Amino acid sequence: MKRGLATILALGLAVTTVGGATTAFAEESDEFVITSVIASEPETLDPNLESSVDGATYSMHMFENLMKYELSDENATEDNDSVKLLEVTYGQAESYEVSDDGLTYTFTLRDDIYWSDGVAVTAADFEYSWKRIVDPSNAADYGYILDGVVLNASAIQAGEAEPDTLGIEAVDDTTLVITLEAECPYFLGLCAFAALMPIREDIIEEYGTEWTDPGNMVSNGAYVLSAWEHDSYIEMVQNEYYYDNASVGPDRLVWQLQDSESAILAAYQADEIDFSSTVSTEQLESLVASGDCYLPDEIGTYYLYLNCDNIPDWRVRAAITLVIDRDNIVENVTQGGQTPATGLVAAGTTTSDGTEWTEYVGDAMFSALAEMYPDYDLTTYSGRCELAVALLDEAVADGYDTSTTIDYEYNTSEAHQAIAEAVQADVADVLGLSITLNNSEWQTYTNNLGEGNFGMARLGWIADYDDASTYIELFTNGNSYNYSNWVNDEYTDLVTEFKALSGGSERDELMKEAEYMLFGEGGFAVCPIYFYTDPYLLHDGIDNIGYTPLGYFIMTYATQAE
Amino acid sequence: MDLFVYTLKRIGTALLTLLLVAAITFFLMNAIPGSPFMTDKSTPEQIALANAKYGLDKPLVVQFVNYIKNLLHGDMGTSLKMQQDTAVAKILFGQGKFRRSIQLGVFALLTSIIVGIPLGCLCAYYRGKWIDSILRVVTTVGIAMPTFVIATLMLFTFGVNLKILPVQSGTLDSPISYVMPVITMALYPSCHIAKLTRTSMLDSISQDYIRTARAKGLKTKMILFKHALRNSLIPVITYLGPLTASIITGSLVVEQIYSIPGIGSYFVSSILNRDYPIIMGTTILLAALIVFMNLVVDIAYKIVDPRINLTKKGD
Repeated sequence: MKRGLATILALGLAVTTVGGATTAFAEESDEFVITSVIASEPETLDPNLESSVDGATYSMHMFENLMKYELSDENATEDNDSVKLLEVTYGQAESYEVSDDGLTYTFTLRDDIYWSDGVAVTAADFEYSWKRIVDPSNAADYGYILDGVVLNASAIQAGEAEPDTLGIEAVDDTTLVITLEAECPYFLGLCAFAALMPIREDIIEEYGTEWTDPGNMVSNGAYVLSAWEHDSYIEMVQNEYYYDNASVGPDRLVWQLQDSESAILAAYQADEIDFSSTVSTEQLESLVASGDCYLPDEIGTYYLYLNCDNIPDWRVRAAITLVIDRDNIVENVTQGGQTPATGLVAAGTTTSDGTEWTEYVGDAMFSALAEMYPDYDLTTYSGRCELAVALLDEAVADGYDTSTTIDYEYNTSEAHQAIAEAVQADVADVLGLSITLNNSEWQTYTNNLGEGNFGMARLGWIADYDDASTYIELFTNGNSYNYSNWVNDEYTDLVTEFKALSGGSERDELMKEAEYMLFGEGGFAVCPIYFYTDPYLLHDGIDNIGYTPLGYFIMTYATQAE
Repeated sequence: MDLFVYTLKRIGTALLTLLLVAAITFFLMNAIPGSPFMTDKSTPEQIALANAKYGLDKPLVVQFVNYIKNLLHGDMGTSLKMQQDTAVAKILFGQGKFRRSIQLGVFALLTSIIVGIPLGCLCAYYRGKWIDSILRVVTTVGIAMPTFVIATLMLFTFGVNLKILPVQSGTLDSPISYVMPVITMALYPSCHIAKLTRTSMLDSISQDYIRTARAKGLKTKMILFKHALRNSLIPVITYLGPLTASIITGSLVVEQIYSIPGIGSYFVSSILNRDYPIIMGTTILLAALIVFMNLVVDIAYKIVDPRINLTKKGD
């Protein structure tokens, strides 16, 4: 018994010792460190091979492209001046020239740019990276990003040409010539794109897949990887060789790797993290009210596919689209500050002259119907419901069977389920049509989408670059994302036509025409619900975080609030 | 000698079991729809390219035979998605995931035993008294409370509100980061062991040999803790085998709530991501652990109770 008692006492002592170390996790120092959460473990830190917003965000802190993002004076949201919008400016390039035909860009690199091991950055590092990403043997998710933009990219991706034939050439150490297939209005945006960051061939050859390990990785941006505890955190420290260190704020960045909304919220409330772009949807309303959460716009559309094989009558598809009460969904269901969708192309997208796309096209979703059925007031929900009933009646007269049950598929998530239930109720109440809700986890879900096993199905599309084409191309004949199996030759020809143009008002007008066609007679293969916001949590005390509506938060220029 | 023969036989059975587990897992995981290369924006062409790159376009049987061949050479393959191209062995062992889960499990197990057995003895010793009544209520509550409720309650009480314990245990670098996860994991088994020990001890007390001991004039404490306890431990040992395996393999909830990168949460993620080599590696590893623990328990029976004959039936 004495020995047992001694054991218990020893344990008690150990617990007391542990208890005495309670301050160990709350170290204080003068070092400026930002601890953030944007996602769980990234698949890779190799810029060429990453495919997610979080992977891109890490790359944008450690690497720098020909162009880069810098802070503007504009706030990301009206109610918080700690986060500023970002704009594209010169990065590793100090200038560029464009040929008269708009197809050849000649970039001149700065003469003071170095990798984190002190080696000079050269034009060849860009050439290597761009050729590596389009090389099909690397199976890069973003391998398609240069398709139709840089000369031969599409042919290389299709295996019809060698990666060496890509239209990019390092003429000398500081001169990079890029030849385009067709003029591209968003090309400079691509020159800041994370997946196209320069990388070092010698490092990759030396370390293979382990080149992204701390100690092996060299980068040319503001930060360099110092630690990567898998599934726990990534740590970056300032790159001493970065040419613009005077503008760099935090000494160290720590990215906690997790995606559990409740665990992240607890860590935020316990002051263990400063910033998170993963926010508990259940707590969103109260967090916004308490001033912890803000809701900047993101260029993204939440929409439903309406399968043309299973709902063949376009009038039924249009009726479903008309009766969904989007105001109710954003105000009472999602409650995240989203905007009811007015078309497929997301708010935040701009035209060639910088006009907000949704202002330029107006109500893209219902304009064509308003012209076809002028007796109905489609600016009100009741007016839209009246037209929906009339369209369904027409379809029924032509043989549509209203007893048909429509399968609504979504990937398992409480948020998607709540939206699905709202849609189900609207369609049942107004049209009397029956919808069955089916959920499955992501992999099974996308498989079902591909096989067309659905009547309705949800998806969200976040833009990779600011151009309406990223949305409009989705519904061309045979596009792998045209899950609705909508076939419209005129639409596909229109897309081909505008893709050959360099930009300007004529291209904008053709894209507008295409978007209207999506919601005209024979259309409605897609049913937009809302435009995204990108909620974030931020403690007081940090200013000048950068944000782009493409979904990237940048800490590089952050400062400590005075 | 019979112990040696028995152990050899059990090892043979264990290897066969592991092969079966590997085969069933391999074919089942390939039967579910989806692809490790499916992302928000991947195209069928890209998926086909990736399948070809990693040999997933070959017939399943060929893939399985190749996998087993490589496994016998110590090669568990490389991750297809979660840490693309990183060796599975490096992910599970080199990055500390297995070690963390084992550490947590062992601490939780020790805590359960150290707390549970004495509590059970106390209850039996003070049977029917107020200590017994209170402890029975406490252990019943401990058994009834789901792990995630305890974890969340502790997290918000000690982490968020009082701020005396870290909310994120992370890589378990400091002793303090173990406190909440270990208590959470140990609560249920401690209570269960306490109940088992109490029942078992009370059962032992009614046995003839205890009556004999009493008749010989031995003190109650001596009877309970020297004679009754040893026999009372057999049901507890029976429970410890599956408990060890379940504590180590079932730490998913605790790992997720306290943000600990262990093998439990990784196992689930690997299934959701269809990262086949990681699913296989984790399953085989955990299956080996369970088989091993069952073997250890059976051998422990023999040591605790020499009457048990391991090799012959009916004796």
